[in-house]
Amino acid sequence: MNDAALKSDTQDIVVDEVFPHAPETIWKTLTTGELISRWMMAPTGFEPVKGKHFTFQTTAAGAWDGVIHCQVLEAAPNERLVYAWKGGHESNVGYGSPLDTVVSFTLSRVAEGTRVRLVHSGFVLPKNDTAFRTMGEGWKKVVRNLDAIAAEQDSPKPLH
Amino acid sequence: MTQAAAINAVMRTLSDPTRRAVFERVAISDEITVVELTRGSGVTQGAISQHLKSLKHAGLVAERPEGRNVYYRAQPEGLAPLVDWMSHYGVFWRDRFANLRTLLKEIDP
Repeated sequence: MNDAALKSDTQDIVVDEVFPHAPETIWKTLTTGELISRWMMAPTGFEPVKGKHFTFQTTAAGAWDGVIHCQVLEAAPNERLVYAWKGGHESNVGYGSPLDTVVSFTLSRVAEGTRVRLVHSGFVLPKNDTAFRTMGEGWKKVVRNLDAIAAEQDSPKPLH
Repeated sequence: MTQAAAINAVMRTLSDPTRRAVFERVAISDEITVVELTRGSGVTQGAISQHLKSLKHAGLVAERPEGRNVYYRAQPEGLAPLVDWMSHYGVFWRDRFANLRTLLKEIDP
């Protein structure tokens, strides 16, 4: 078993792209319920107001109903939108396992339009990071991680 | 089988340390026979055969009979139900950004 597989740490997903549109237009797509539902998922109760709670319905898994519970943490018009993104259930492994993360969109005006940087942060290792992701890095590495995954499954409490 | 059920089946299969050890040995070999797996394992050939049967049932190994021997090899795709949150959201966000680009083209041509 390698130590890295057991280390409790968090990891981020980053998607950073330039769109040939003004920040104001992009802000609209990030903060208007009807538009959010057209490119992402239909939110329930969303308003770009700090403290506001809203939800997304995603695919259920085991004891988890598939509801993502969100709360707006920051809303600076045309610049930055941040919300908490929580879901999952203790009884699940991999998809549907407990998730306590933060999604942020940062907009910056560039010559070609607007740079949109998405950071989805707070994925806990190894809980949210099991075999499948490492498969890209080689089948043998996946096998080395199996001990950790299985231990996690057997243990009633998280390892960290 | 639902995704959760598939995950549980794979996890149940791999939760046995001996079976996991068998699977790991199969995975690091290109192909391996029951006799080779039994050698030095400290477990009977019958027990190894039972573990291979469970692994095969969970889709984690495949077998290839040749003459008197049966060769086993690992099937990486058997681990697919363990798809995790990070890879899920990695794909999710890239797809959504593609949708966003299309939507922006529609509303702001």
